[in-house]
Amino acid sequence: MEKDKKSSLAWILCLFLLIPVTVGAAEKFPTKPIEIVVPFAAGGSTDVLARLVAKYAPKTFDKPLVIVNKPGGGGVTGTEGVVRSKADGYSLYLGYGSGHDLVTPHFQKLPYETFIDLIPVCRLSVHSVAMIIRADAPYKTLKEFVEWGKKREQVTASVSTKAGSVDITFQALGKATGLKIVTVPFRGGAEAVTAIVGGQTDSGGNHPSEIISHIKAKRLIPIAVALEQRDPAIPDVPTFKELGYNVVTVGSVKGVAAPKGTPPEVIGYLAEGFKKVCEDPEFVKSMKDIGQPVMYLGPADFGKYLQSGFEQYGKLIKEFNIKLE
Amino acid sequence: MFQGLANGFGIAFSLTNLTFALIGAVLGTIVGILPGLGPAATISLLLPLSFKIASPVTSIIMMAGIFYGAMYGGSTTSILVNIPGEAASVVTCIDGYQMALKGRAGPALGIAAIGSFIAGTIGVIGLTFVAPPLAEFALKFGPPEYFALTLLGLLMATLLGGTSVVKSLIMVVLGLLLGSVGLDPISGAIRFTWGFFMLQEGVDFVTLAMGMFGIGEILINLEKELTTELVTRKITHLWPTLKDWAESKWAILRGSFIGFFIGILPGGGAVISSLVSYAVEKKVSKHPEEFGKGAIQGVAGPESANNSAASTSFIPLLTLGIPGNASIAMIFAALLIQGVQPGPFLITEHPDVFWGVVASMYIGNVMLLILNLPMVGMWVQLLRVPYAILAPIIVLFCCIGVYSIRNTVFDIWVMGIFGVIGYFFRKVDMEPGHLILAFVLGPILERSLRQALLISAGSPFIFFSRPISGAMMGFLILFILIQIVRAVRGERLKAE
Amino acid sequence: MGRVKHPGPGFLPFGLALCLIILSLALIFKNLKGDNSSTPFWPQRTWLRPLLGVAILIFFAFVVEWVGFLITTFIFLMIWMGVIERVRWRTIISVSIGTTAALYLIFALLLDVPLPMGFLKW
Repeated sequence: MEKDKKSSLAWILCLFLLIPVTVGAAEKFPTKPIEIVVPFAAGGSTDVLARLVAKYAPKTFDKPLVIVNKPGGGGVTGTEGVVRSKADGYSLYLGYGSGHDLVTPHFQKLPYETFIDLIPVCRLSVHSVAMIIRADAPYKTLKEFVEWGKKREQVTASVSTKAGSVDITFQALGKATGLKIVTVPFRGGAEAVTAIVGGQTDSGGNHPSEIISHIKAKRLIPIAVALEQRDPAIPDVPTFKELGYNVVTVGSVKGVAAPKGTPPEVIGYLAEGFKKVCEDPEFVKSMKDIGQPVMYLGPADFGKYLQSGFEQYGKLIKEFNIKLE
Repeated sequence: MFQGLANGFGIAFSLTNLTFALIGAVLGTIVGILPGLGPAATISLLLPLSFKIASPVTSIIMMAGIFYGAMYGGSTTSILVNIPGEAASVVTCIDGYQMALKGRAGPALGIAAIGSFIAGTIGVIGLTFVAPPLAEFALKFGPPEYFALTLLGLLMATLLGGTSVVKSLIMVVLGLLLGSVGLDPISGAIRFTWGFFMLQEGVDFVTLAMGMFGIGEILINLEKELTTELVTRKITHLWPTLKDWAESKWAILRGSFIGFFIGILPGGGAVISSLVSYAVEKKVSKHPEEFGKGAIQGVAGPESANNSAASTSFIPLLTLGIPGNASIAMIFAALLIQGVQPGPFLITEHPDVFWGVVASMYIGNVMLLILNLPMVGMWVQLLRVPYAILAPIIVLFCCIGVYSIRNTVFDIWVMGIFGVIGYFFRKVDMEPGHLILAFVLGPILERSLRQALLISAGSPFIFFSRPISGAMMGFLILFILIQIVRAVRGERLKAE
Repeated sequence: MGRVKHPGPGFLPFGLALCLIILSLALIFKNLKGDNSSTPFWPQRTWLRPLLGVAILIFFAFVVEWVGFLITTFIFLMIWMGVIERVRWRTIISVSIGTTAALYLIFALLLDVPLPMGFLKW
């Protein structure tokens, strides 16, 4: 009898001990580092943004943010990985709102539903599509470029990926101006910049962060930007709209997303954390130096912004009858 | 400028920077030796660490060390077990492995290390003195130039020898076909993936190399009941002899200069340099028939070329802010995050970064030489291990290496399939070397061609109207004509 | 496929396939013309060992994610050295253990490479 009593006491004690363990499991999020997936190659503008955020995150997040690059399929591979991961807030996608989210679904079916399988957490920045020319080109403004281009059989524009946000923008521009713009795809923004700096093409389309150092060095001049309003990173550059061409897009939006089913409190925590990072003056300064404007939006507003951006691309594609060759 | 360099040395010689240079160099060598993991992946793993290090100079020094350290290490596996660690070491396999089989692994490794040192240093000298004008020159390389250059490289590849011309050509064609697997960047179309999503980025070089070279070689060796060591001939000298040195010194110099110029070009610099160097050495050699059987120039030249290419690939980054390959892109990002803008103003705004890194590269090369030379003895001992034990270990290294690229077993399957294919290729005397080189160069060739034609609105004239590509195409045509004339004359002589 | 002046994605594969056909025919012709001595592909059942090698490799690929890297590697080494080669038992065991440990140390610990851990979470 003694032994039984002792063993049952032991069992009861163990059960009691289990309680803090289970309670601990429901401990405050996060209890371990958070993985941020960047579905593009390391070194690119999205990657730099992610790493910059991760650098300032320890001030507001209780656990470190770990950046993981999963390039492939134009961004689809890495994004899909997050879609299929556990919705516990430890695997996030940074880059929500890029070309493969807002543009590609108009042309191809993706292995997931961009707006259903992912929940918006917050917007961090907007990478607009800017049109750039060499400083020593025979044209200095968009107007001059169009005049110059009309006299030629075709004009070329270096772009980063086929059917990406930049490519589509230029195709729309071609239709809007009546020029025959041939977009020449390169492997990523960096290669495209090299091409225009070297004068291989007549013009180029890039995000301001990709060309900021060249602008400062006065090698490249941005002549227009495809946004609703001027881009804070390059405030002196007029929009296409101002110049009379109704080519308006949201560019390539950089936000954070979590897989469908992530608990709202987790989303709330993450959004708050990112918000504080965006308000950090050092972060803002670093971002300014690299040409990326800090543009925070909370989960609900960001979701609406993305939807309208997606529809905007759809309208653009329809209006200018853009097709994938 | 000398002021800057002197300052740079001052910075580079600080204890912190020396330590980190050493860490980078050692890590790079390990990474270069191990299949799968490449310098780019390692650098990205260490990026978060680099923020904790106070100054940008130190983190760049370490990352640069990893990068060119990997170039030193890559030749080791090529020579010892005929497995190229990365594309730039493929050419070294050809004669390097043959030398190892003849018991001359020591001299091969030694001359590779010495050549790499000399070439790396020459590259850094270039970085010191002529970086800006060279970078401008690199900018002039557009799609037509890349097309001509890659065509040249591919042509050189076919010169690599082998038993029959037809067989070599078949391998080249197969390599080109394999290279087209995946997403086509120009049109967005997906080719040859048969629904395997994993193939969308194309076949990975490492998987192909491990499979065809590594597994294939082991499978064919399994046919012979090798109970003893791989190298049965007595392992002779551990060090290159004076004769070796005399034979190689010009190869090293030529390789250094070839790599120097071609290395500046973004994308593919090291591979093409090693190819061109091999072809040049074969052409100028008094005993071209030795190539493919263990000619030391076949190791000295290409190894020097890929190391000086590694040094000069920093030039576009540090002077123009343009990264030339994946590892450099990582360093580019690290600089950005640290608040340093790589670009034309780097030298003036952050002279300590520029000169500090340059000075540290001189030191790094010395460190690597001191590291690698003594290890030659150790590596050679590895060949003494009975093949029965060595073989499965090599297979395991390949499996893990391949797995580590994308964390998926799919890649191991692909490697296995290529291993079996490689095995059959060897049975019928077909060299996988040509295939792999075509595999690497093919996509660049096709892409550049189509980009060039887009720019020229379909006119092939563009290849000849631009000075640089025109010169290269002219050289190419001349070269082909000479070959044809020689072949015809050879036939005629035979007939007589 | 595109036109010659504007090559599409199918252009290169098509051209290459054509080249391959031509070259293969050339190869066949050469061999038909040449000497007719033929060496057996696999004299004396030499195909056995490579086949075993491939079999073990397949086994490894199948099992490694399920059972975990450590165990699979160990078994792999044991089978290879024991079945394909004929190595002494003591050597097999010591090398298997030693290599598995060394590989784990280098890849998992030193280089922080994620390895498949299997259901044992090792």
